[in-house]
Amino acid sequence: MRPVLALFAVLALLGTAAPATAQEVVFWHHYGDAEAEGLRAAVGAFEREHPGVDVRLVHTPFGAYASKLESAIPTGHGPDVFIDAHERLGTYARAGLVQPIGELGLALRLEYEPEHLGALAVDEVQYGLPVALKTAALYVNTDLLPTPPDSLEEIAALRGRLPEGVWPLVFEAESSYYDAALLHAWGGRLIDEDGAWAFEGEAAERTLATIRELTRAGVVPEEPNGDLVTQLFGSGQAATAIGGPWIAGDLPDDLSYTVVALPRVEAAGAAMRPYVTIEGVFVAAEAREPELARELALFLAGSDGSTLRARIGQQVVAARSPWQTERAAETPAFDPSGRLTAFRRAASDGIPMSTHANMRMAFEPAMRAIRKVLRGDVAPANALAEARHRFEDVTRPLPPERSPTVPLVVVGLVLLIVAISAVRRARDPQFRESLRASVPAYRYVAHAALAVGLLVIAPLAVGAATSLFAGYGTDMHYVGLANYADILTARGGELLGHGSFYLVLLVTVLWTLLNVAFHVGIGVALALLLNRPGLLLKGPYRVLLILPWAVPSYVTALSWKGMFHRQFGAINAILEAAGAEPVSWFAQWSTAFAANVATNVWLGFPFMMVVTLGALAAIPKDLYEAAAVDGANAWQRFRLITVPNLKPMLAPAVVMGSVWTFNMFNVVFLVSGGEPDGSTEILVSEAYRWAFTRSAQYGYAAAYAVLIFGILFFSTRVIGRRVEGMGGTA
Amino acid sequence: MSSLTLRGIQKRLGGNPILRGIDLEVRDGELVVLVGPSGCGKSTLLRTIAGLEIPDQGTIEIADRDVTGLAPRERDVAMVFQSYALYPHLTVRDNLAFGLKLRGAPPEVVKERVAEVSRMLGLAELLDRYPRQMSGGQRQRVAMGRAIARRPHVFLFDEPLSNLDAALRAEVRVEIKRLHATLGATMIYVTHDQVEAMTLADTLVVLNRGAIEQAGPPLEVYKRPASRFVASFMGSPSMNFVPASVEDGRIRAAGLDLTAPRALDRAEVLVGIRPHDVLVAPEGEHELEMAVEVVEAMGFEAYAHGRVGECPFVARIDPDRAAEVSPGQILHLKAPETALHLFDPETERAL
Repeated sequence: MRPVLALFAVLALLGTAAPATAQEVVFWHHYGDAEAEGLRAAVGAFEREHPGVDVRLVHTPFGAYASKLESAIPTGHGPDVFIDAHERLGTYARAGLVQPIGELGLALRLEYEPEHLGALAVDEVQYGLPVALKTAALYVNTDLLPTPPDSLEEIAALRGRLPEGVWPLVFEAESSYYDAALLHAWGGRLIDEDGAWAFEGEAAERTLATIRELTRAGVVPEEPNGDLVTQLFGSGQAATAIGGPWIAGDLPDDLSYTVVALPRVEAAGAAMRPYVTIEGVFVAAEAREPELARELALFLAGSDGSTLRARIGQQVVAARSPWQTERAAETPAFDPSGRLTAFRRAASDGIPMSTHANMRMAFEPAMRAIRKVLRGDVAPANALAEARHRFEDVTRPLPPERSPTVPLVVVGLVLLIVAISAVRRARDPQFRESLRASVPAYRYVAHAALAVGLLVIAPLAVGAATSLFAGYGTDMHYVGLANYADILTARGGELLGHGSFYLVLLVTVLWTLLNVAFHVGIGVALALLLNRPGLLLKGPYRVLLILPWAVPSYVTALSWKGMFHRQFGAINAILEAAGAEPVSWFAQWSTAFAANVATNVWLGFPFMMVVTLGALAAIPKDLYEAAAVDGANAWQRFRLITVPNLKPMLAPAVVMGSVWTFNMFNVVFLVSGGEPDGSTEILVSEAYRWAFTRSAQYGYAAAYAVLIFGILFFSTRVIGRRVEGMGGTA
Repeated sequence: MSSLTLRGIQKRLGGNPILRGIDLEVRDGELVVLVGPSGCGKSTLLRTIAGLEIPDQGTIEIADRDVTGLAPRERDVAMVFQSYALYPHLTVRDNLAFGLKLRGAPPEVVKERVAEVSRMLGLAELLDRYPRQMSGGQRQRVAMGRAIARRPHVFLFDEPLSNLDAALRAEVRVEIKRLHATLGATMIYVTHDQVEAMTLADTLVVLNRGAIEQAGPPLEVYKRPASRFVASFMGSPSMNFVPASVEDGRIRAAGLDLTAPRALDRAEVLVGIRPHDVLVAPEGEHELEMAVEVVEAMGFEAYAHGRVGECPFVARIDPDRAAEVSPGQILHLKAPETALHLFDPETERAL
């Protein structure tokens, strides 16, 4: 009790102490080392200009940044000033977390490009000032290409003229984020200003055709990802690469390269225009010293603050003045290599990412369409039509808000009945006597009940309750069972149509059955081999075979994902060495599913093996001898003694393994990632998509989770009863 | 016709000799009991006959057929295990039918045999139970039934009664004897319990350290033990041994002076006298003087424990007069000539 009181005392002191140092400003950011260094320098300069002001920099990890801001600002524990990407401004403004930055003078307005400034305004109200720009540019290996290429066509023409094994260009060709630059060159958009799907028509089809052409012609490698881009460019195996400033940190020091703005597309008659993320500085709605906070924001975004951040933090700052040199061809003093200048130029050419909530939901359907076209499954027009359908599916209007009165009344009535019956029982002296006698017993289980309640039952109840709400992020309203109705009617589409609950359930059941069959088959076979009395080196074998279990599953999943790569994977290398055609593993459902199963079998068999080893040791040797004398040969002994005696001991392990496999998120998410086209998703990864890649539709995802829970609960009950029925207690 | 013949069976396990050359001939329908202390190799010998162990040397013939290298299922033997080794996942009915089904007996035959065996052993009520639902005695009967149902040439019993309580053990012992009479089958029975051995055996085989000490009808083994080991192993309480010297047709030691039953051309001898064979004698006519240390009176029987000279000695006394004997007293005893067992003190073989 005493430490708790002491804690309260300290908190109370802090609460009274905070206003006493009136000139403190709390500043939140999520910058890494170099950028944070620049920020510190700028803040230091601000403090020198404002004696008596203390700016407290708080680093909050990127992953939890938004959710921390959303929870901290309304309760007064948040920052006065903070930095974040412009795409989130819409959410913050709607939730009232930021305040308008106020009138800007003409000089300040001219300091920024109108588009960048506009990205930090909502409904004509300016909320933030541009601090830095994040965009993609073209990295060029200057050993291979002394003069940077001007156009995409020029890069494509490099094929055949570069040394053996060097790609003309590497970028994440399947990513809708990068491909959008090409789309913009053709004059297209992913979504329009109203958030409606716009990735269609001639511009979109030409974009897809160009990407397919680049991949087919061997200009760009297949199935690229961020790591592959860094690795190929960093090792000199790619003459050029498209990437953001974040790639530079992973490139080797001795690589000579330069950065230029994205190339022109001659056929389109325009330059590639990448998406730009504008990092803004905002003043929180609850800022304690709003005037001081605003001054800090203006300083950081202004000329002096920006120059310091660019010089020391090597940031691509949004302000114009730091970049202005006497002669246009020169680069500023803080950028001798010219790389920052190149990113700055690319940002000027770029298109600020839409602040519309639908933006984030457009990337996934667009990416699926791109992958389909790259695989040559369908014509671009069809793939795009399907993508529109998918986009509209995830951005469909939320179910109408319902009045929670009826369920609340029902819950209230139930609670009332419970309370009344409790009171009535409490009057009964006999019951009171027995309750008093049981007090020690309740005391003994209290801590366990509390722990289970807090760690298991409460989250379960909150999850189940969430499933009755719909909305994006924390902005939700009560809709009753509408989420379930939506899921169970396949959102009005075909019951076994793409992405429908029933189809995914079917895949999940098949996935579970196949995996568990292999787990048990391989596990039992290996256990029997290990159990042979004369086996040498039993210990080392056992350790080696348990190893897959000891490795964290995501590490295994990522290794297998790498091995299944179309061009660089070990499995295709073996196939090619054996003279077979390489397989594009994630292009078809069957091979992608097989890759998932192979990975999960590798992960899962050791558990069954260990359980079987234990179970085998528990079968008395006498039984085998009795059977041998009774006339059984080795096979009959296995079939008539080993199998029936293993069954009751393996059954719980099989039930447990089935539940694990049913919910084996890691493998599906990391190996196939649902490819091709979401067809290898299982229920739990589908629920994840709704929660985390489709604009935080937590209620909908929670409804999935409740359904998964229900399915597992009832099927394990049924299996459990059957196990008991077959005499499993022996 | 001999049912089972063992010739020169030798077996080592982990470098230790377990069986050191066993020769044994078992006649058709004979019940042979292998008896001996723990570690004497009796179970290994039984398992060797069953084919669960392969001998290093020697041959095994069953029904005049060499089975030394054959698998257990090809030997036409059935075994009752100490643990019963019932199949836990099968009902009594299926346990009984297991061997028959494996040998491809037609269903009618299986049904008939199971019925016959369950009638014989009183298992009819239990046919649909699982082993875990039965008592130890019932399980034991199922284990025997499983062997009987197969009608093998030779039955092997590996200490089948050792997991039963004393009362049940006596009951089942009689039952086995009756079964043997009914079936007329050849049986090899391993036990360390001499009561079982004596009561059941047609032929008793005493094993010690992997070799046969003596084989013969049980009473003969009891009456004429071939060695000090057999003499001390069979009979309870155990035989008394006193090392003595031979002088002028008398056998003498401290507290002992006996008439030699026959002429002995040696100076040293080991005298064995069973506790049951001594009689209390009046002073003067006595041949043994025993210093009493402890008296055990059990009502139907009484024993005095003490020493003759320096040797520990047990004598049976009249239970009605046990109260008259007290520790510290000298008891005067005599032993009839026929009750004396004489052994070579060096080789410990009977003279």
